[in-house]
Amino acid sequence: MVADDVLLELIHSELVAYAYNKEEEKDKKEVDFSSLEYAGFLSGYRIIERLTKDWPRFKDELETLKFICTDFWSSVYKKQIDNLRTNHQGVYVLQDNAFRFLSRISSGTQYLEHAPRYVAFTCGLLRGALANLGIVSLVIAEIQPMPAVKFHIEVKRS
Amino acid sequence: MTIHNLYIFNRNGILLYYCEWNRLKQSGITKEEEAKLMYGMLFSIKSFVTKISPLDTNKGFLCYKTSKYALHYFETPTGLKFVLNTDTGAQNIRDFLQQIYIQVYVEYIVKNPVIDLQEPITSDLFKQKLDAFVKQSPSFTSSKVTSY
Repeated sequence: MVADDVLLELIHSELVAYAYNKEEEKDKKEVDFSSLEYAGFLSGYRIIERLTKDWPRFKDELETLKFICTDFWSSVYKKQIDNLRTNHQGVYVLQDNAFRFLSRISSGTQYLEHAPRYVAFTCGLLRGALANLGIVSLVIAEIQPMPAVKFHIEVKRS
Repeated sequence: MTIHNLYIFNRNGILLYYCEWNRLKQSGITKEEEAKLMYGMLFSIKSFVTKISPLDTNKGFLCYKTSKYALHYFETPTGLKFVLNTDTGAQNIRDFLQQIYIQVYVEYIVKNPVIDLQEPITSDLFKQKLDAFVKQSPSFTSSKVTSY
């Protein structure tokens, strides 16, 4: 067991708990995860700078997304994305069948109400990574029976 | 060899989890009372063992045996207590309990952020993983299986 792997998981769960408690203090009925998502965005923006330093330029958008699914994902989540799908019009669906931040929580519908909190950071992480590679996007997570997650990436064309 | 049942207590003696596989005789009292009795007995044995020992004990109380079954006791430095009852022939149960702690408890309880560590365990994933872990062990062979 490598300690730094655990450290990411623990700090992430505390980050979630911290962001969530702050929202509750403000007494908002609707919880929004913008602070978590933004923290993810900034982390993604920075981490991609380091990860791509030895890479040539990507030839197109799909190449970039493939890099995200393989190298980027395994450096953060210790596994690759299980399935990448696209409609070739700027919508990509990344499916992870055993998402790291959910794999310890449940394998089914128990604790489902907590699940959205644990994917917000990752949505931001993806968006930040893509933003620094020149792709402006919108990332939404869809939770399948845990621990599977689908990330929908919608590329914004200008 | 058979595994009868398992208790997990926290540092303060609260029963976190109870599970049975092949228990032939019920105690006739509620599970809460039984857990309190069990914890009280373990507590007494532990202090008795440390007081009566002629040498320094570094591991302390490990197990006891009756003519019909054996009780195995594993305590972590953080005070978690794993208690497993098996038949008298079971081997290497101490390692087995340590593996339950490392591979099941730490993985699916400690690393699960939605679980309160002081509360009794209700996670289905933990239940499922523990059951699978116990059933694949060489000590677990019995035709009649009941689990809760």
